[in-house]
Amino acid sequence: MTETRHYQGNPQKNSPALGATLAYLGVNGLLALLHGSQGCSSFIRLQLSRHYKEPIPLNSTALLEDSVIFGGWEHLKKGIAVAADKYKPQIIGVMSSGLTETYGDDMVSALASLRLERPDLNDMPVVLASTPDYIGSMQEGYQRTVEALVTTLAGHQIKTSNQYASMSTARSNEDPALSIALLPGCHLTPGDVDELKEIVMEFGFNPITVPDLSISLDGHAELEAAPVVQGGTLLEDFQRLPKCRACLSFGLSMEKAGDILKQTYNIPHYNFPSLTGLTATDTFILTLAKLSGKAVPEKILRQRSRLLDTLADFHDRLGGLKVAVALEMDLLYSLASSLVEVGAEITVALAASGAGIHRLSLPIPIEVGDLETLEERAGQSTLIIANSNGRQAAGLLKLPHLRAGLPVFDRAGYPQKRWIGYEGTQQFLFDTLNSVS
Amino acid sequence: MFTNLTKLDLKDKPCLSEAGSPKLCMKALPGEGAERSCAYDGARVVLMPITDVAHLVHGPIACAGNSWDNRGARSSGSQLFRRGLTTDIMENDVIYGGEKKLKAAILEIAQRHHPKAIFVYATCVSSLIGDDVNKTCEEAQKELTIPVIPVNCPGFLGDKNIGNRIAGEVLFERVIGSGDVSKEKIPLSINLIGEYNIAGDIWGIIPDLKNLGITLQTAITGDAKFDDLRSAHRASLNVLICSKSLTNLVRKMEIQYGIPFIEGSFYGIHDTSETLVKIATALGDADLLARTLVYVQKREDETRKTIASYKKVLEGKQAILFTGGVKTWSMVSTLAELGINILAGGTQNSTPEDFQRMKALMDPTAQIIEDTSSAGFLKIIAEKKPDLIVAGGKTKYLAHKTRTPFLDINHGRKLPYAGYEGMIKFAETLSRTVLSPVWGHLRREFPPKEGEQDD
Repeated sequence: MTETRHYQGNPQKNSPALGATLAYLGVNGLLALLHGSQGCSSFIRLQLSRHYKEPIPLNSTALLEDSVIFGGWEHLKKGIAVAADKYKPQIIGVMSSGLTETYGDDMVSALASLRLERPDLNDMPVVLASTPDYIGSMQEGYQRTVEALVTTLAGHQIKTSNQYASMSTARSNEDPALSIALLPGCHLTPGDVDELKEIVMEFGFNPITVPDLSISLDGHAELEAAPVVQGGTLLEDFQRLPKCRACLSFGLSMEKAGDILKQTYNIPHYNFPSLTGLTATDTFILTLAKLSGKAVPEKILRQRSRLLDTLADFHDRLGGLKVAVALEMDLLYSLASSLVEVGAEITVALAASGAGIHRLSLPIPIEVGDLETLEERAGQSTLIIANSNGRQAAGLLKLPHLRAGLPVFDRAGYPQKRWIGYEGTQQFLFDTLNSVS
Repeated sequence: MFTNLTKLDLKDKPCLSEAGSPKLCMKALPGEGAERSCAYDGARVVLMPITDVAHLVHGPIACAGNSWDNRGARSSGSQLFRRGLTTDIMENDVIYGGEKKLKAAILEIAQRHHPKAIFVYATCVSSLIGDDVNKTCEEAQKELTIPVIPVNCPGFLGDKNIGNRIAGEVLFERVIGSGDVSKEKIPLSINLIGEYNIAGDIWGIIPDLKNLGITLQTAITGDAKFDDLRSAHRASLNVLICSKSLTNLVRKMEIQYGIPFIEGSFYGIHDTSETLVKIATALGDADLLARTLVYVQKREDETRKTIASYKKVLEGKQAILFTGGVKTWSMVSTLAELGINILAGGTQNSTPEDFQRMKALMDPTAQIIEDTSSAGFLKIIAEKKPDLIVAGGKTKYLAHKTRTPFLDINHGRKLPYAGYEGMIKFAETLSRTVLSPVWGHLRREFPPKEGEQDD
């Protein structure tokens, strides 16, 4: 961003609490409770809803003027208790907001105090994620929440028998040597996560995915909508995490959550900053082959071979692309690096926040910036890749605009897109080429 | 610096205890799942359709970042209002205060975007850290040639409705009649209060007004230009469209500028005609009234003729209605016009008056939706098994899970439904929804049960 500017113009940032909501939406039986005013949760519901075309269950502590004076500590206790009594969730996931972090509500002590007053709630797991706005964007909120989920729920002993308990007794008999923990970052769509699980299963592994948006926000018509999350990672799956053969995390933002599992349970951990592009996928596939002791399956080799053929067929058009990219960091790196490796030029690389900026590299420096900056700098490009809000910049500059990231509300099917692995990379390159022709 | 809530005529009102009635006493229980948004949201809804000004949100990213350019309010001119502008309050601003940053941002935006004015929205965090937005705006304005207008609407003040009222106060005190403008009334001119030009609704109303010789001074606010708003006091009549949340504004305009007001709605044939006749009557021009009576009859006949084929499809269908604002009651008669029976009705973000009016219009056997949370909404659908649901975008995807035909009538929609033209569009869209073959596919068992395969 230009140094002189004291405002965000057409921000590409989403709030960290939105990222937290997204992570919670991948956990089965969880009720997400935002500690903030009703507007905080309304805007998140609306934003996620128009992206996923799904109802977004998100509750709030509905803070009002009195909490500004007295703090929101009591409201949080009350909110957890009311939500637990009214909706009977299996887990409650709390995230904080700019408001509550500014007056410094201590969520840990509020929970402890509630548990003293309401011993009947002692067995209900409550996850606390601290997600004030100033930590960055969606990616940071999602990251912190996955870390909180893993820390609070991994190895969790289920004490109560309830409506959810019998859901996966069969799965707990699976061989732990074949279980593998997957931690997908928020740059992966529900479609991507589905693809990821399929690839891992090709090598004979049983994936435990945290969080698992591929079975909660995948836009299926089977389940009745409910105030708690339906689909997603089961509480039983968290219980099985400590025995996994390995943990694979995706996106640099997920590295710390993987390291928590590694340090706590001595599980080998591998982080993959990107899963899009030939070389990124090669690294991933070779790791799976090594871990499983199996040869790369024929199906995957075939997909790789098709991708190679596509690269040859379209090398000239790919090499002529001049692409301006503005996205959350992990997605920015994934998509931009996969274009760079096929000869395209990245003209502008703007991340929503600064996380990982010194560790991820492209031929040009990655900068933190808003979409007004994109508008100023993308003039010499042939394509813009940004979320739907990039439409103002693309319109003014009269450039084609490939939608990616979040929100994407004006194109059909983005949450179902698969842009990872060999086949997904091929699809991404096709989508890119088709948007400029 | 906080908005004086007593001025908004709220706190002295007792909570209506009637089930399903929207509560104006501002209490929502933590964790209960009420989804009534916040005062900042309410203020931005009213003010952001002012198209040629900059809207700067002095808050953390959650306030503007998740919400900018997300409403369907349309403009015939400047697109500046769609730009997302925020000071993006960070940790250091919380510690050291954000006033300097805010002032710098105002000056930079003025220079870069050349707005007619800048509206600055205070939020929860900016209020909590004690930033004096009024003073900062005043200081910035001294260095500029345009008005810099503070809007004190931190979310914690209450729900959306309160924000609407705050916006009305701001318009009255800082915009209408400000600057060097004439006081002379424009004959046969009106303001539409609470018309936001969602999906271009206004453009379906203006041709009829023009045909009758009525001038639209401005909509407050929809496709609104700042200068037209400043001259809003020159209108001869205020027509209050969307709920009573801006009643404070029209009352004050009546006292200060002698502009009488009437209430109306442009949703549906009946309400559109009634409103046009009421406008003609209130403007006190005998010739206009005579013209209008003939005109609305002609338009009604034309419109009814056009929608007859849609009515055939829709007649006798059982619906659930869930919405807010003026649409609460206006939709009841619109659906009735199409022969649709309302099984149950509910509302969020409406005033108790709007709610009462809806109740009075509905069949006494129709149920009032008491629990307005998602859970309550699902429960009523399961119980009533309606043929269709007419509701706001928030409930859209929830409704789809119940595999029931659904029509979105709130701010997320793409099609204009106001006026006679809007009624045709509405009937057309609604029958397309009901007739869509997808609902049959959604409800079909698969794989079929034993023995049913040959059916």
